[in-house]
Amino acid sequence: MHRVLLPFEFAEPTTVGEVVGMVDGQKAMVLAGGVDLVLKMRLRQILPEKVVSLQKVPGLDYVQEDGSGLRFGALASLRKIELSAVVRGGWPLLAEAIGLIASVQTKVMGTAIGNLCVGTPASDIAPALYALGAGVTIVGTDSAREIPIKQFFVDVGKTAVQPHEIVAEIFIPRPPAGSAGAFMKLSKTSEDIAKVNAAVLVTIVDGACTDAKIALGSVAPTPVRASEAERLLQGRGMNARTIAEAAEAAAEAATPISDVRSTAAYRKEMVRVLVKDALEKAAARALARGGGHHA
Amino acid sequence: MRKEIATFVVNGNEYEVIVEPHMLLIDVLRDKLGFTGTKYACGAGDCGACTVLIDGKPSFSCLTLAVTARGKSIVTIEGLAQGTELHPIQKAFVDKGAIQCGYCTPGMVLSAKALLDENPAPARDEIKSALAGNLCRCTGYVKIVDAVEAAADAMRTGG
Repeated sequence: MHRVLLPFEFAEPTTVGEVVGMVDGQKAMVLAGGVDLVLKMRLRQILPEKVVSLQKVPGLDYVQEDGSGLRFGALASLRKIELSAVVRGGWPLLAEAIGLIASVQTKVMGTAIGNLCVGTPASDIAPALYALGAGVTIVGTDSAREIPIKQFFVDVGKTAVQPHEIVAEIFIPRPPAGSAGAFMKLSKTSEDIAKVNAAVLVTIVDGACTDAKIALGSVAPTPVRASEAERLLQGRGMNARTIAEAAEAAAEAATPISDVRSTAAYRKEMVRVLVKDALEKAAARALARGGGHHA
Repeated sequence: MRKEIATFVVNGNEYEVIVEPHMLLIDVLRDKLGFTGTKYACGAGDCGACTVLIDGKPSFSCLTLAVTARGKSIVTIEGLAQGTELHPIQKAFVDKGAIQCGYCTPGMVLSAKALLDENPAPARDEIKSALAGNLCRCTGYVKIVDAVEAAADAMRTGG
């Protein structure tokens, strides 16, 4: 860790158009909250010639719902999203995931979109966004495109964002009636990044699971969905046996690595435990909200 | 920009500092302005020793580019006491023995202030959550939480 940063050029444009005109891969990097960028500059992992701040672009910190779902902008802090009444009411899974990021300072400074742009498979919000089926709006110099979150993560530290693009918005559709989610995380200490994390969203209609989304973090180069486990729950009641089968299938499909935080074998076993616990919790929540009976 | 004379508003006072883009807020506060109550420790956003309030919100000064804090209201630990009168949170830390080596204390007190400004009557769990970004290597958390609780009581009753 270096005590000081090496010199760089700094720009504070006031429109998204100007920002995308300036950013250029690792040569000219965008600054939102700075939690990851400044740290990596101190570590000399990245040495941009230019830092382009988004902070003076007005109107990017929105967190709002419209007819189709929830939208938040590039400067919406993790803290703002976590505490938003709209998010807590309609997308509690996202608030729960952010809630397990311990440090208030990190959440005050850090933006949700910045967290995603790091491209780490250990992101706590990514599995929640996979389970919720989020879309990512990427803006370039003369184009904007929305891609599903699962196409956004490409590899460790690598996202679909191209050198002259930034992420402007995340969109999350409204979860279906009868659905409920749960997020679980296992980490060395509560401030550390996840060894394994899991987000699930289950929809229960007339006592049967009509849809299940199970997303895992820290077990592959990108967050992943446990599709086989999801398929096993489809159309069945959620009980101890079906949940155990799904958890087993999720663990079976996971291909984690061994590193300083855990061995691969331990991570695999913890996938089973976290998925089981998360499914139990989500099913109980869905039933408590009346998902057991057709509304 | 490369270099400019910028205004920083620290503890209600305006200071002009020659600032370059690569300068961190903690260095401006400590080395240019002498607010050495702001502590440097991990440099990585893990420990919270460098916490200051920027526009009322607890922030890591070691991960904040100084240029992004120009013109914003910055509060350091030096801004809490009124003359020789300690802030109720500081008083409570002393009274409850919530200080051991003292290195984490400025950050702890500022995170506590941010909490109490928002929520004057926090539950113990809310205090713990609010201080989760501040580590105490002496591990004296119980007394720190006691102190914040006592400060909240004192502030509510005007003591």
